Amino acid sequence: MDLFDPYYLQQLAIGLSLGMTYALMAIGFTLIFGVLNVVNFAHGEIYTLGAFAGLVLITAAAPPIAAVVFAALAIGAFAGFSLERLAFKPFRRFTDEASLKSRAMRESTLLSSLAVSIVVREALEIVFGSQMRSVPFEYLINTPVRVGPVILVTGDFIILGVAAAMLIGLQYLLTRTRIGLSIRAVSNNPLGAKYVGIDTDRTIIMTFVVGSMMGAAAGILVGLYYGAIFPAMGFVPGIKAFVAMVMGGLSSIPGAVICALILGISESMATTFVSSGWSDMVAYGFLILTLIFFPNGLFGAGRERV
Amino acid sequence: MSASKSRPQWVLPVLIGLLVFAALPAVLASFDRGYFYQIANLALIFVLLSASMHLVTGVAGLLHLGHAAFYGVGAYTAALLTTKLGLGFTWTLPLSGLVAALVAFLVALPTMRLVSIYFAVATLAIGQMLYLVMLNWVEFTKGPNGIIVTKGLELFGFSLSGRLATYYTVAAVVVLCVVAIGRLSHSYYGNALRSIREDDQCADAMGVRTVRLKMEAFTLSAFFAGVAGSLWAHMTGYISPGDFKFSESILILAMVVVGGLGSLPGAVIGALLLILLPEGLRGLGDFRNIMVGMVMFLSILFLPKGLLGEVSALRLVRQQLGAAWRRTDNGIGIGWR
Amino acid sequence: MTHLLEIENASRRFGGVLAVNDVTAHVDEGELVGLIGPNGAGKTTLFNLISGFTPLSAGTVRFAGTPINGLRTNRVARLGISRTFQNLRVFPNMSVFDNVSVGAVGTLPQGPLDALFGAAKRADAISERTWAALEAVGLTHVADELAANLPYGRRKYLEIARALAMQPRFLILDEPAAGLNDTETRELAAFIKRLHGQGLTIMLVEHDMNLVMSICQRVLVLATGRKIADGPPEVIRQDPAVLEAYLGVDA
Repeated sequence: MDLFDPYYLQQLAIGLSLGMTYALMAIGFTLIFGVLNVVNFAHGEIYTLGAFAGLVLITAAAPPIAAVVFAALAIGAFAGFSLERLAFKPFRRFTDEASLKSRAMRESTLLSSLAVSIVVREALEIVFGSQMRSVPFEYLINTPVRVGPVILVTGDFIILGVAAAMLIGLQYLLTRTRIGLSIRAVSNNPLGAKYVGIDTDRTIIMTFVVGSMMGAAAGILVGLYYGAIFPAMGFVPGIKAFVAMVMGGLSSIPGAVICALILGISESMATTFVSSGWSDMVAYGFLILTLIFFPNGLFGAGRERV
Repeated sequence: MSASKSRPQWVLPVLIGLLVFAALPAVLASFDRGYFYQIANLALIFVLLSASMHLVTGVAGLLHLGHAAFYGVGAYTAALLTTKLGLGFTWTLPLSGLVAALVAFLVALPTMRLVSIYFAVATLAIGQMLYLVMLNWVEFTKGPNGIIVTKGLELFGFSLSGRLATYYTVAAVVVLCVVAIGRLSHSYYGNALRSIREDDQCADAMGVRTVRLKMEAFTLSAFFAGVAGSLWAHMTGYISPGDFKFSESILILAMVVVGGLGSLPGAVIGALLLILLPEGLRGLGDFRNIMVGMVMFLSILFLPKGLLGEVSALRLVRQQLGAAWRRTDNGIGIGWR
Repeated sequence: MTHLLEIENASRRFGGVLAVNDVTAHVDEGELVGLIGPNGAGKTTLFNLISGFTPLSAGTVRFAGTPINGLRTNRVARLGISRTFQNLRVFPNMSVFDNVSVGAVGTLPQGPLDALFGAAKRADAISERTWAALEAVGLTHVADELAANLPYGRRKYLEIARALAMQPRFLILDEPAAGLNDTETRELAAFIKRLHGQGLTIMLVEHDMNLVMSICQRVLVLATGRKIADGPPEVIRQDPAVLEAYLGVDA
């Protein structure tokens, strides 16, 4: 087998694009887990909502692609805000650290976010039907582009570009802005952050907003890339993003991004060599292996045993 | 407890027995519509699934997100044994339970040391992997086409596939299993499992073999789920991977949560509620599934302990289900067995 | 003769910190030993080394002749070492009876088949132990109560009852007097003496000297991870090293 066979390079590019969208989602997971120590099971539905927001706008107004992405971002921000208020806030009855990171809080929010995700998915099915909705042809980002011997599509570049822009934006947000600093402070030490006057509640909302914007962006990008949008589309990428977060060590954003890329690439390779039906097995296999052999994640600094 | 002293302990079990084995079948027979029988059987199977999940999630406190997959392993075992080896229900019933338990045991070996959310995620992944096998191993499981199960319910060659006979068979198996789960969870064994749920490190310091007990709870619950799968396969005569996907696991979890984590009567009521409510609300059409999510959400929000919290449920079981809790005349107490 | 508990050159390192540094000590059958030391002396770490919560970095711990290094916590517990926790760790959503029964079922394991088919003898043994332990701490009348509903002082006794239900050979109490007022502390002291009088070997880990000095036969003193004194309370009270550790260099 010639590794430089254009076909494999092409698969590599597809894997990278896929991995980038997982990375965008994984960041949302990681941010929320860092701040609240909880898993947000409705993150996959945010992704779906982003895709549907784009679809609705396309069918209604036929705007340029950039506008579609912005609409998805806006919906993502709104959905993140509502999700936090609905499924997470009611269970934060006390604000001391013990109850902020308590097991009871984790489990009830896990279940409540699960319940919210069921409601959202079923509601989408009622409104849009459970079948795949196809994206109008002119919006598909799969125009072939020739790079040397390899044929890529515009989508690969768009996903790479948008993802890179969002990663840089996130980096800027986390290190240079007040809200980013408070997100980092709260995830390091919620009680300490509270004592120095950071509004924990507001920070948590902002974390959900930022994380959900990234998830929604991933949703619309994948929707346009593959041209299929359906209510259950968020479930599998949600799991994969989660896997990336666990592999990356739960609290490490670079770790999550790298692992998301690894996942995306290995999946597209699996599709090439085995069959697409089995490719999901890769993610689950990675997850189990990571949990067993690298309990701290591949890049993790150590994990809390609560 | 004093209020119930006058009421003998056998009243509630007998009432439930009469309801399940006399009143309900009478009602079903008087309507004699296949649809009603189907609903009743489905509800019973989910009662068993919910009760088996109660053992691992409610009692041992392990959040299990892949339970439906073990239900599927049981159903596929039954279907394959029937179509490939020609075995009947008499054999597939125990074998389905055993195969599901064996699979659970094997996957539990490496994962049982994981705690809290890591365990939940591992069970999710395991459930999805099993689902992928059912979906993609086409030569063996026929993939998305599913399998037609050629044999109905029977016992040692005696056919039980009439409507009423089917109902009685399903009810008998489910009641037997639920009683067994009741005995497991309301015993000192169950107390040891509960201590793991409450504080596993502390339970460890009390000499409780936490890892081994978790394995046992996980394997046992898979056994009962497998039994439910065999009932389902022979009852409906057709199974496909869609019956065992992630959302089914969540449905079972919702039953346990709505009923009250840690409470077996709660798990049973939760299952009945989440199966019968959507049927009763058929007029709402597509809104049924939203109802499931809403009921789950609202019950977490407003009834954090579920319909029957652990405590009230324990009292109920102690007083009613023959789990003796009394002190003898000479002052030596007898706990519950 | 061999000691019930032998600690030989035990050390435990956390990163660069030696929390327990080359400690050698022993406890004999039937003794009531106090383990004291200022904050951060390594008492709790030493305790966790004995009960198997934390593995040793170096040295050995033997219980009744059996090395317990590297054994799982529950194995150590079943050998006969039972403990209570400094920050109360009762099982809040279980009844008082069920809480205590966990101690009994930990050492008299009941398997799923026993539970299913009712091995009556084993169940009776568990229930007898549980009631005996409840009797010993005087909690029988609240046996049906939820543990979370008990007042703080009672929960301390509940923890002790749970440890007693294991029928241990060696009981370690981790700061049992913390959070109790003077009357309660006196009651507790009398109770511990009574337990000891019934032949139980007890180690009392305490931050505060008074309780230890009043009831223990022998006192071990730790400071910055090292054992600095070991002897009867009268001697410890005069020991310059102990005074220095507790009161500062000038004492």
